[in-house]
Amino acid sequence: MTRILRSIRFNIFLGALIAFFSAVGTILPQIGQEPERANAFMQAHPLWTKFLSFFGLFDLYHSWWFMGILALMAVDIVLCKLWNKPPDAGIVALPPELTNEEDLETHLDKKEAALKLKPFQAFFTSKMGLDDAWKTARGHLKREGYAVKEEFFLPGTAGAFVGTRHRIQRWGSYFAHIGLVVILVGALIRSLFGFVEMVPVLEGGSRRMQRLFDPRSFSERVRELFWGHPWTMKEPVDVYVDKFTIEYYPGTMNPKLFASDARVMSGDQLLGQKVIRVNHPLDVNGVRFYQASWGAGGMFRSVTLKLGKETLQLPQRTPVKIPGTPFTVEADMMLPNFTVTDGQADTASLDLKNPAVRLMFSVGPHKTSPLWLLKNYPDICFTEDAQGQLTHAPAPPFQLAAIDPILFSGIQVAYDPGFPIVVLGALMWLLGMIALFYMHRRRVWILLESAGENSCRASLGAWSSRGTREYEAEFGALAKSLRSELKSEDNFQMTENPIVEVS
Amino acid sequence: MNYEVVFLKGALAFYALATAAAFVYLYNKDDKWSSWMFRLVGVGLALHLVSFGFGMHYFWKIPDNRYYFPINSFFGALSFLSLATVAVFFLIESRHQLGILGAFVLPWAVVGTGSAIIFANPAAEGLVPALQNYWINIHPVVLMTAYAAFGNAFGVGVALLIQEHQIKSRKPSELCYRLPSIEDLDDLNYRIIVWAFPVLTVGIIMGGIWAYSAWGRFWGWDPKETWALITALVYAGYLHMRFVKGWRGKKAVYVSMLGFACVLFTFLGVNYLSPLHGYLSGGG
Ligand code: HEM
Repeated sequence: MTRILRSIRFNIFLGALIAFFSAVGTILPQIGQEPERANAFMQAHPLWTKFLSFFGLFDLYHSWWFMGILALMAVDIVLCKLWNKPPDAGIVALPPELTNEEDLETHLDKKEAALKLKPFQAFFTSKMGLDDAWKTARGHLKREGYAVKEEFFLPGTAGAFVGTRHRIQRWGSYFAHIGLVVILVGALIRSLFGFVEMVPVLEGGSRRMQRLFDPRSFSERVRELFWGHPWTMKEPVDVYVDKFTIEYYPGTMNPKLFASDARVMSGDQLLGQKVIRVNHPLDVNGVRFYQASWGAGGMFRSVTLKLGKETLQLPQRTPVKIPGTPFTVEADMMLPNFTVTDGQADTASLDLKNPAVRLMFSVGPHKTSPLWLLKNYPDICFTEDAQGQLTHAPAPPFQLAAIDPILFSGIQVAYDPGFPIVVLGALMWLLGMIALFYMHRRRVWILLESAGENSCRASLGAWSSRGTREYEAEFGALAKSLRSELKSEDNFQMTENPIVEVS
Repeated sequence: MNYEVVFLKGALAFYALATAAAFVYLYNKDDKWSSWMFRLVGVGLALHLVSFGFGMHYFWKIPDNRYYFPINSFFGALSFLSLATVAVFFLIESRHQLGILGAFVLPWAVVGTGSAIIFANPAAEGLVPALQNYWINIHPVVLMTAYAAFGNAFGVGVALLIQEHQIKSRKPSELCYRLPSIEDLDDLNYRIIVWAFPVLTVGIIMGGIWAYSAWGRFWGWDPKETWALITALVYAGYLHMRFVKGWRGKKAVYVSMLGFACVLFTFLGVNYLSPLHGYLSGGG
């Protein structure tokens, strides 16, 4: 079982599964993302709906099985990384593994044979004695950014060492994958301890959040713990919107600004105050208040009615006398986006696309039937009968000049304690990938054998995770510079072995 | 006169000429065609940069939007995507002198700039509140740069498939000798993707950080986000197949091409599923 779980093939399969179901979720309307479309689909296809809802396909991303796949993937990545060494074509061990200087002497020939197995090699003769050549070679590699390891030196006979660069690459893969797991953990923390709540607040009013939360900051809680206060003290919280503003770009209906002048209160205690704009939330001890939406609910401060040269201000549900006539007029209702459904007045949405107001005229005790006026279409008018049925009426001699609606501001309250962890994971992922993809490991094996007082033979072998072409050039340059440092004059040979693939 | 469009038309003309030269080079041995292609692309790129600069100027007219790059309209996005595609191509070509790659990559730039000019409205409009954030200068730019690189990798993939076909067929044509070896093409495809993949995922994460600062959620499974994730998963699959299973050549290239299909769908197709993200809705 663990053999399957820890295989990379299985992990890729899980990835494909996640990709597939994610795609399904973008085609089938999801309750979380598009509730109206999802409901419409459900009504249109009742039979399918039964089947699909059974598997949670309308809330796919939060269904137990989708979460399960994600969790399995996280566990699996950890298993994979625990069991499998990162693929490492570079370490072709020198046979036999040399552990001390005597071995070096007895197996000198084998060491050279081993060097010849390296993907890249170079051989030349130095005009320096072994001692000097040894020092110079080590110094040169260090200057080139290599760390010198596994040094063995036999005075008068031979010396060998390995130079390595960017060994960190091996850890890149671990780091990146653990980063992914950390991101998933952050998401889990959010779904366990975080919340999102939509709080629509009428301008000038307030609304109590359904969720209680602790108004104290984290440090306050820690401090108060010593005085016997409990860790959490859940309290009701009210959101006030004192003023809500919409601005449009001049001459267009493109919104420029949505802003709520908001306060968050717990009883008499002010927890936070700010003009909340989109992209600029208010933060109260980690709980954030966002400008998410707005709308017109049907309330207004007043409408301005134009009758010939006269204009009248009508507050909502307040009869106003029309000067010079026996009539009184009253505006009682507003619909923000007027439409007719089944012969009755209705609104298509909560934004002020097509506002309409219902007026009633009266003389003494006699009332006319209500009249609907549309602000954007002064020629269209409807009368409404006692059953609410609308009939077209001729264009009236009065128009709506202005409406001053009372808007509500949709404040979304969100708490996500997993966010810093997600960011940490993202950082690990990024650093891991940089190490993995761009910090190519290099290994250079160098063997120096004494060949008389002022001469020694140098053999170089090399491997790198860089592309063959690039490393060939880089190693060529390295060998060349080393050769001149070691005062070599003979013909320089460099060979390339086919890369040894290690499965 | 809108200089942004004028210079973009100029760039388009040079891209078209460069594409023509690239196609001639496919069938004509003479290296002068490929060096002409390279020069024409260079001029086109310069004109395109000037056009982009004028776009900045145009944007400057809306006082509230001065701090934002003019890429947040369909026009701006298409123009920037083509610019990035050509820039990446220019970089690859100046390092590797493949010559033939132009025939498979430059058409994308022609289609991109062409459709910006024909189908999209260049007028810079004020940004809706959701987009008024410095992230708009970063998040889409990073992602579209990744797209541009993937486009180039796709071109390399096409070249590889043609080469493979040539070698398998009984009588390989002239083309076979112009195209680099399958190993080289595979290596190049891999190396472009290995650059673009981290850029893609970082762009996605940046989107998440923006989403958190604008809406209080890091991830909301909106179709654009979801398809970006699917794209990343496919390319991750490609990298794993290569690293771990040692896939090379045709097999690997098919996976990377599936990735590019996802890129196209994320950029264009998702807008038909839902206009929730980016320029069509104003990022709401
Ligand atoms: C998890 C979060 C996010 C993901 C995964 C994501 C993903 C993407 C992707 C893949 C693109 C690529 C360009 C394209 O295909 O058109 C894109 C573009 C864009 N995104 Fe996001 N995004 C995220 C969050 C956000 C947020 C919060 C906003 C703004 C409120 C935003 C605004 C944009 C804009 C304006 C574009 C560019 C559209 C254009 O100019 O063409 N994104 N995003």
